[in-house]
Amino acid sequence: MGDLTFLAAGYAVFWIVSFVFIYTLVSRQRSLEKEVQVLEQFVQQESEVE
Amino acid sequence: MATETVLSQQKQAVARSSGFNWTHGLTIISGVLMLVALYMALVWAPDAANLIAPAERAAQRIFYFHVPSAWIGFLAFIVAAVASLLYLLTRQQKWDIWALASVEIGVAFFAMVMLSGPIWAKPTWNVWWTWDPRLTISTISWLLYIGYLMLRGAVDNPDRQARFAAVYALIAAMSVPINWVAIRWWRTIHPAVVLPGNNTSAEGGFGMSADIQTTLLFCLFAFTVFYATLMVHRIKLENLKRRVELLRQQILYQ
Repeated sequence: MGDLTFLAAGYAVFWIVSFVFIYTLVSRQRSLEKEVQVLEQFVQQESEVE
Repeated sequence: MATETVLSQQKQAVARSSGFNWTHGLTIISGVLMLVALYMALVWAPDAANLIAPAERAAQRIFYFHVPSAWIGFLAFIVAAVASLLYLLTRQQKWDIWALASVEIGVAFFAMVMLSGPIWAKPTWNVWWTWDPRLTISTISWLLYIGYLMLRGAVDNPDRQARFAAVYALIAAMSVPINWVAIRWWRTIHPAVVLPGNNTSAEGGFGMSADIQTTLLFCLFAFTVFYATLMVHRIKLENLKRRVELLRQQILYQ
Protein backbone atom coordinates (compact mmCIF):
# COMPACT_ATOMS: atom_id res chain seq x y z
CA MET A 1 0.00 0.00 0.00
CA GLY A 2 1.17 3.53 -0.75
CA ASP A 3 2.38 5.90 1.94
CA LEU A 4 -0.78 7.99 1.80
CA THR A 5 -3.32 5.15 1.70
CA PHE A 6 -3.77 4.98 5.48
CA LEU A 7 -3.93 8.76 5.75
CA ALA A 8 -6.59 8.96 3.03
CA ALA A 9 -8.59 6.12 4.61
CA GLY A 10 -8.38 7.73 8.06
CA TYR A 11 -9.70 11.08 6.85
CA ALA A 12 -12.35 9.42 4.65
CA VAL A 13 -13.77 7.88 7.83
CA PHE A 14 -14.25 11.30 9.47
CA TRP A 15 -15.93 12.88 6.48
CA ILE A 16 -18.13 9.88 5.64
CA VAL A 17 -19.41 9.53 9.24
CA SER A 18 -19.96 13.31 9.45
CA PHE A 19 -21.87 13.49 6.17
CA VAL A 20 -24.01 10.44 6.98
CA PHE A 21 -24.87 11.94 10.40
CA ILE A 22 -25.71 15.37 8.92
CA TYR A 23 -27.71 13.77 6.09
CA THR A 24 -29.84 11.79 8.54
CA LEU A 25 -30.40 14.95 10.62
CA VAL A 26 -31.51 16.97 7.60
CA SER A 27 -33.75 14.24 6.13
CA ARG A 28 -35.42 13.56 9.50
CA GLN A 29 -35.95 17.30 10.01
CA ARG A 30 -37.54 17.73 6.56
CA SER A 31 -39.95 14.84 7.03
CA LEU A 32 -40.91 16.06 10.54
CA GLU A 33 -41.51 19.61 9.29
CA LYS A 34 -43.85 18.27 6.60
CA GLU A 35 -45.63 16.13 9.19
CA VAL A 36 -46.05 19.10 11.56
CA GLN A 37 -47.51 21.16 8.73
CA VAL A 38 -50.05 18.47 7.82
CA LEU A 39 -51.03 17.83 11.45
CA GLU A 40 -51.41 21.55 12.21
CA GLN A 41 -53.66 21.98 9.18
CA PHE A 42 -55.73 19.03 10.37
CA VAL A 43 -56.06 20.47 13.89
CA GLN A 44 -57.03 23.87 12.48
CA GLN A 45 -59.68 22.34 10.19
CA GLU A 46 -61.08 20.31 13.07
CA SER A 47 -61.32 23.38 15.31
CA GLU A 48 -63.07 25.37 12.52
CA VAL A 49 -65.63 22.56 12.08
CA GLU A 50 -66.35 22.60 15.83
CA MET B 1 -56.21 20.95 28.41
CA ALA B 2 -52.87 19.70 29.74
CA THR B 3 -51.94 18.48 26.26
CA GLU B 4 -52.77 21.91 24.82
CA THR B 5 -50.53 23.62 27.39
CA VAL B 6 -47.63 21.27 26.63
CA LEU B 7 -48.32 21.69 22.92
CA SER B 8 -48.13 25.44 23.25
CA GLN B 9 -44.83 25.15 25.19
CA GLN B 10 -43.51 22.76 22.55
CA LYS B 11 -44.51 25.16 19.79
CA GLN B 12 -42.61 27.94 21.55
CA ALA B 13 -39.54 25.68 21.90
CA VAL B 14 -39.62 24.84 18.17
CA ALA B 15 -40.11 28.51 17.28
CA ARG B 16 -37.21 29.49 19.54
CA SER B 17 -34.89 26.90 18.05
CA SER B 18 -35.89 27.53 14.42
CA GLY B 19 -36.29 31.32 14.51
CA PHE B 20 -32.75 32.32 15.39
CA ASN B 21 -30.55 33.24 12.45
CA TRP B 22 -27.45 32.59 14.52
CA THR B 23 -27.90 28.84 13.97
CA HIS B 24 -27.19 29.37 10.26
CA GLY B 25 -24.21 31.56 11.17
CA LEU B 26 -22.90 28.94 13.57
CA THR B 27 -23.29 26.24 10.92
CA ILE B 28 -21.32 28.26 8.37
CA ILE B 29 -18.60 29.16 10.91
CA SER B 30 -18.37 25.51 11.92
CA GLY B 31 -17.99 24.37 8.29
CA VAL B 32 -15.25 26.94 7.65
CA LEU B 33 -13.40 25.99 10.85
CA MET B 34 -13.50 22.30 9.87
CA LEU B 35 -12.05 23.08 6.44
CA VAL B 36 -9.27 25.22 8.00
CA ALA B 37 -8.60 22.37 10.47
CA LEU B 38 -8.33 19.95 7.53
CA TYR B 39 -5.86 22.27 5.76
CA MET B 40 -3.75 22.67 8.91
CA ALA B 41 -3.75 18.92 9.60
CA LEU B 42 -2.83 17.85 6.08
CA VAL B 43 -0.70 20.73 4.78
CA TRP B 44 0.36 23.26 7.42
CA ALA B 45 1.49 20.95 10.24
CA PRO B 46 5.05 19.58 9.96
CA ASP B 47 5.89 15.87 9.93
CA ALA B 48 6.64 14.26 13.30
CA ALA B 49 10.46 14.26 13.24
CA ASN B 50 11.03 11.01 15.18
CA LEU B 51 8.89 8.81 12.88
CA ILE B 52 11.08 7.33 10.13
CA ALA B 53 8.85 5.08 7.99
CA PRO B 54 7.03 7.23 5.36
CA ALA B 55 3.67 5.44 5.82
CA GLU B 56 3.89 5.84 9.61
CA ARG B 57 4.80 9.51 9.26
CA ALA B 58 1.88 10.14 6.89
CA ALA B 59 -0.57 8.17 9.07
CA GLN B 60 0.49 10.22 12.12
CA ARG B 61 -1.59 13.06 10.65
CA ILE B 62 -4.73 11.03 11.45
CA PHE B 63 -3.92 12.16 15.01
CA TYR B 64 -5.23 15.69 14.28
CA PHE B 65 -8.78 14.39 13.75
CA HIS B 66 -8.55 11.22 15.88
CA VAL B 67 -7.77 13.03 19.16
CA PRO B 68 -10.44 15.76 18.73
CA SER B 69 -13.03 13.08 17.84
CA ALA B 70 -12.19 11.28 21.08
CA TRP B 71 -12.36 14.60 22.96
CA ILE B 72 -15.83 15.29 21.53
CA GLY B 73 -16.89 11.73 22.44
CA PHE B 74 -15.82 12.31 26.06
CA LEU B 75 -17.33 15.81 26.15
CA ALA B 76 -20.63 14.58 24.70
CA PHE B 77 -20.90 11.77 27.26
CA ILE B 78 -20.11 14.16 30.14
CA VAL B 79 -22.69 16.68 28.87
CA ALA B 80 -25.19 13.80 28.65
CA ALA B 81 -24.43 12.81 32.26
CA VAL B 82 -24.86 16.39 33.53
CA ALA B 83 -28.10 16.82 31.54
CA SER B 84 -29.35 13.47 32.86
CA LEU B 85 -28.61 14.51 36.44
CA LEU B 86 -30.45 17.80 35.85
CA TYR B 87 -33.39 15.86 34.39
CA LEU B 88 -33.59 13.61 37.45
CA LEU B 89 -33.48 16.67 39.74
CA THR B 90 -35.89 18.93 37.84
CA ARG B 91 -37.89 16.56 35.56
CA GLN B 92 -37.70 19.18 32.84
CA GLN B 93 -38.03 17.63 29.37
CA LYS B 94 -35.33 19.85 27.88
CA TRP B 95 -32.60 18.10 29.88
CA ASP B 96 -33.73 14.73 28.54
CA ILE B 97 -33.53 16.18 25.02
CA TRP B 98 -30.01 17.53 25.73
CA ALA B 99 -28.88 14.13 27.01
CA LEU B 100 -30.28 12.25 24.02
CA ALA B 101 -28.81 14.72 21.52
CA SER B 102 -25.41 14.61 23.19
CA VAL B 103 -25.25 10.80 23.35
CA GLU B 104 -26.22 10.47 19.69
CA ILE B 105 -23.47 12.88 18.64
CA GLY B 106 -20.99 11.22 21.03
CA VAL B 107 -21.69 7.80 19.52
CA ALA B 108 -21.09 9.19 16.01
CA PHE B 109 -17.76 10.77 17.04
CA PHE B 110 -16.72 7.63 18.89
CA ALA B 111 -17.47 5.67 15.70
CA MET B 112 -14.89 7.91 13.98
CA VAL B 113 -12.39 7.12 16.76
CA MET B 114 -13.05 3.37 16.60
CA LEU B 115 -12.66 3.30 12.81
CA SER B 116 -9.71 5.70 12.43
CA GLY B 117 -7.77 4.11 15.32
CA PRO B 118 -7.09 0.78 13.55
CA ILE B 119 -6.21 2.67 10.33
CA TRP B 120 -3.55 4.59 12.27
CA ALA B 121 -2.51 1.46 14.21
CA LYS B 122 -1.70 -0.66 11.17
CA PRO B 123 1.34 1.32 9.89
CA THR B 124 2.42 2.20 13.47
CA TRP B 125 1.98 -1.07 15.42
CA ASN B 126 1.75 -3.38 12.37
CA VAL B 127 -1.62 -4.70 13.60
CA TRP B 128 -5.14 -3.40 13.02
CA TRP B 129 -6.26 -4.25 16.54
CA THR B 130 -4.87 -5.38 19.87
CA TRP B 131 -6.64 -5.95 23.20
CA ASP B 132 -4.88 -3.01 24.80
CA PRO B 133 -6.56 -1.43 27.90
CA ARG B 134 -7.35 1.84 26.07
CA LEU B 135 -8.74 0.13 22.97
CA THR B 136 -10.78 -2.34 25.01
CA ILE B 137 -12.24 0.30 27.34
CA SER B 138 -13.05 2.56 24.37
CA THR B 139 -14.94 -0.29 22.73
CA ILE B 140 -16.86 -1.00 25.94
CA SER B 141 -17.65 2.71 26.32
CA TRP B 142 -18.92 2.94 22.73
CA LEU B 143 -21.09 -0.17 23.13
CA LEU B 144 -22.46 1.19 26.43
CA TYR B 145 -23.75 4.31 24.67
CA ILE B 146 -25.14 2.34 21.73
CA GLY B 147 -26.97 0.45 24.50
CA TYR B 148 -28.32 3.80 25.78
CA LEU B 149 -29.91 4.49 22.39
CA MET B 150 -31.31 0.94 22.25
CA LEU B 151 -32.74 1.31 25.76
CA ARG B 152 -34.59 4.46 24.70
CA GLY B 153 -36.06 2.60 21.75
CA ALA B 154 -37.19 -0.28 23.96
CA VAL B 155 -39.26 1.73 26.48
CA ASP B 156 -42.57 3.18 25.21
CA ASN B 157 -43.68 5.32 28.14
CA PRO B 158 -41.94 8.71 27.62
CA ASP B 159 -41.50 9.52 31.33
CA ARG B 160 -40.15 6.08 32.14
CA GLN B 161 -37.92 6.18 29.05
CA ALA B 162 -36.41 9.52 30.14
CA ARG B 163 -35.95 8.33 33.74
CA PHE B 164 -34.32 5.00 32.81
CA ALA B 165 -32.12 6.70 30.21
CA ALA B 166 -30.98 9.34 32.72
CA VAL B 167 -29.92 6.72 35.29
CA TYR B 168 -28.22 4.67 32.56
CA ALA B 169 -26.32 7.74 31.26
CA LEU B 170 -25.03 8.50 34.75
CA ILE B 171 -23.73 4.95 35.19
CA ALA B 172 -22.27 4.80 31.65
CA ALA B 173 -20.43 8.10 32.26
CA MET B 174 -18.10 6.25 34.65
CA SER B 175 -16.41 4.80 31.56
CA VAL B 176 -15.12 8.29 30.61
CA PRO B 177 -12.61 8.82 33.48
CA ILE B 178 -11.60 5.13 33.33
CA ASN B 179 -10.89 5.57 29.62
CA TRP B 180 -8.84 8.74 30.30
CA VAL B 181 -6.62 7.10 32.92
CA ALA B 182 -6.28 3.78 31.03
CA ILE B 183 -3.18 4.97 29.12
CA ARG B 184 -1.68 6.66 32.18
CA TRP B 185 -2.13 4.01 34.84
CA TRP B 186 -1.76 0.71 32.99
CA ARG B 187 0.84 -0.84 30.71
CA THR B 188 -0.29 0.03 27.20
CA ILE B 189 1.06 0.64 23.70
CA HIS B 190 -1.42 3.46 23.04
CA PRO B 191 0.50 6.76 23.08
CA ALA B 192 -0.50 9.39 25.66
CA VAL B 193 0.43 12.38 23.56
CA VAL B 194 -1.79 14.85 25.43
CA LEU B 195 -0.74 15.27 29.10
CA PRO B 196 1.30 12.04 28.99
CA GLY B 197 2.24 11.76 32.69
CA ASN B 198 4.78 8.94 33.10
CA ASN B 199 3.84 7.11 29.92
CA THR B 200 5.95 8.64 27.14
CA SER B 201 7.44 5.56 25.54
CA ALA B 202 4.40 3.89 23.97
CA GLU B 203 4.70 2.70 20.36
CA GLY B 204 3.89 5.51 17.93
CA GLY B 205 4.30 8.22 20.54
CA PHE B 206 5.95 11.46 19.46
CA GLY B 207 6.99 14.74 21.01
CA MET B 208 4.89 17.73 19.96
CA SER B 209 6.59 20.75 18.42
CA ALA B 210 4.95 24.18 18.67
CA ASP B 211 3.35 23.86 15.19
CA ILE B 212 1.98 20.39 15.95
CA GLN B 213 0.54 21.72 19.23
CA THR B 214 -1.02 24.72 17.46
CA THR B 215 -2.64 22.45 14.86
CA LEU B 216 -3.96 20.09 17.51
CA LEU B 217 -5.39 22.97 19.57
CA PHE B 218 -7.04 24.47 16.50
CA CYS B 219 -8.55 21.09 15.56
CA LEU B 220 -9.85 20.67 19.14
CA PHE B 221 -11.47 24.12 18.90
CA ALA B 222 -12.98 23.41 15.43
CA PHE B 223 -14.40 20.08 16.61
CA THR B 224 -15.88 21.70 19.74
CA VAL B 225 -17.68 24.29 17.58
CA PHE B 226 -18.81 21.45 15.27
CA TYR B 227 -20.20 19.60 18.31
CA ALA B 228 -22.07 22.74 19.47
CA THR B 229 -23.54 23.15 15.97
CA LEU B 230 -24.69 19.55 15.82
CA MET B 231 -26.21 19.90 19.31
CA VAL B 232 -28.26 22.92 18.20
CA HIS B 233 -29.60 21.05 15.16
CA ARG B 234 -30.22 17.78 17.00
CA ILE B 235 -32.11 19.58 19.82
CA LYS B 236 -34.21 21.39 17.20
CA LEU B 237 -34.99 18.03 15.57
CA GLU B 238 -36.01 16.46 18.88
CA ASN B 239 -38.31 19.41 19.66
CA LEU B 240 -39.96 18.91 16.28
CA LYS B 241 -40.34 15.17 16.91
CA ARG B 242 -42.01 15.78 20.28
CA ARG B 243 -44.27 18.38 18.73
CA VAL B 244 -45.45 15.80 16.17
CA GLU B 245 -46.20 13.35 19.00
CA LEU B 246 -48.22 15.98 20.88
CA LEU B 247 -50.16 16.99 17.77
CA ARG B 248 -51.04 13.34 17.17
CA GLN B 249 -52.25 13.06 20.77
CA GLN B 250 -54.33 16.21 20.38
CA ILE B 251 -56.00 14.82 17.24
CA LEU B 252 -56.62 11.45 18.90
CA TYR B 253 -58.23 12.89 22.05
CA GLN B 254 -60.07 15.79 20.40
